[in-house]
Amino acid sequence: MRNLSIPASARTPAIDFDFGKNHLKLSGESYPEDVTEFYNPLFSALDAYLAELGPGRSCRVDFELVYINSSSAKAVMMLMDKLDAAASNGPTVDVYWFYDAEDDTMQELGEEFGEDLENAKFHLEKMPR
Amino acid sequence: MLARELFDLRSALRKQGIIFAYSGYVTEAVLSGVGDAIKQKLLFDDANTKTTRSVFAVFVEQMQNMIRYSAETAMTGVPAPSPDGIRYGVLTVGLENGDYVVHAGNLVRRADVERLRAKLSRIRDMNKEELRVLYKEQLRGDPGEGSKGAGLGFMEIARRASKPIEFDFTDVDDEHAFFTLKASV
Repeated sequence: MRNLSIPASARTPAIDFDFGKNHLKLSGESYPEDVTEFYNPLFSALDAYLAELGPGRSCRVDFELVYINSSSAKAVMMLMDKLDAAASNGPTVDVYWFYDAEDDTMQELGEEFGEDLENAKFHLEKMPR
Repeated sequence: MLARELFDLRSALRKQGIIFAYSGYVTEAVLSGVGDAIKQKLLFDDANTKTTRSVFAVFVEQMQNMIRYSAETAMTGVPAPSPDGIRYGVLTVGLENGDYVVHAGNLVRRADVERLRAKLSRIRDMNKEELRVLYKEQLRGDPGEGSKGAGLGFMEIARRASKPIEFDFTDVDDEHAFFTLKASV
């Protein structure tokens, strides 16, 4: 399937979903004017990709977010839920949450998302500076 | 005389430690522009990363609350930015005893005052751990009737604040009250 690549804007993160390499990444800041409008295409692309990801396959998703507003937090949780549900069907799903060592708020938020993952493997790491 | 009037207003704001003041109709474009200026000012002040992000985070939630919920609206022409017009709010960012303070205010319907007061009192009286639990609960929960977001805004503000949030209401007319919410970072 076609990769999804969206450059970062002032209020939205860069999206680099390389489905061919099974490596998906979101990086930057997220406080879009309209959360639904920005995240819906991501949900659709992710659903289509995960539907084909069967047992024996693996994928890695990197969250490198420096700031997200409260509406975006809800959207990120929905992404996490999709990944966790997919991992319950066989494939290995590795979720990496990178946080800025100087802002423990994003570290705590990562921990909160990580606690809810039952099937996907969660990794909490400092952003390389 | 002309210069004096506006200079007096500027002086009054400065005396209160206010660095930024906005009073008027708020739009997402105002949020972007003022937000950018706040970021630059904090960078110039050499505020640490966490403080800068927290001031900005509180600013974003306060602005989006006014854009979405202020009860004072003006219908706008074509193309309308939103079906129910643009909304009016007041927001200041200042320094008080070494803390950055984001203070926002807008009209609300008097019928909503008690519901808001109850919600905010509960959040104000929670410690960080209780807030964390409530936040997670709400993240998974229903945003609630009339919400245009995730229903997490006040909690996000309280979590980012270094002190309990402060809020107040004052009646303006039969239908409206002025609501203010202040957070220190």
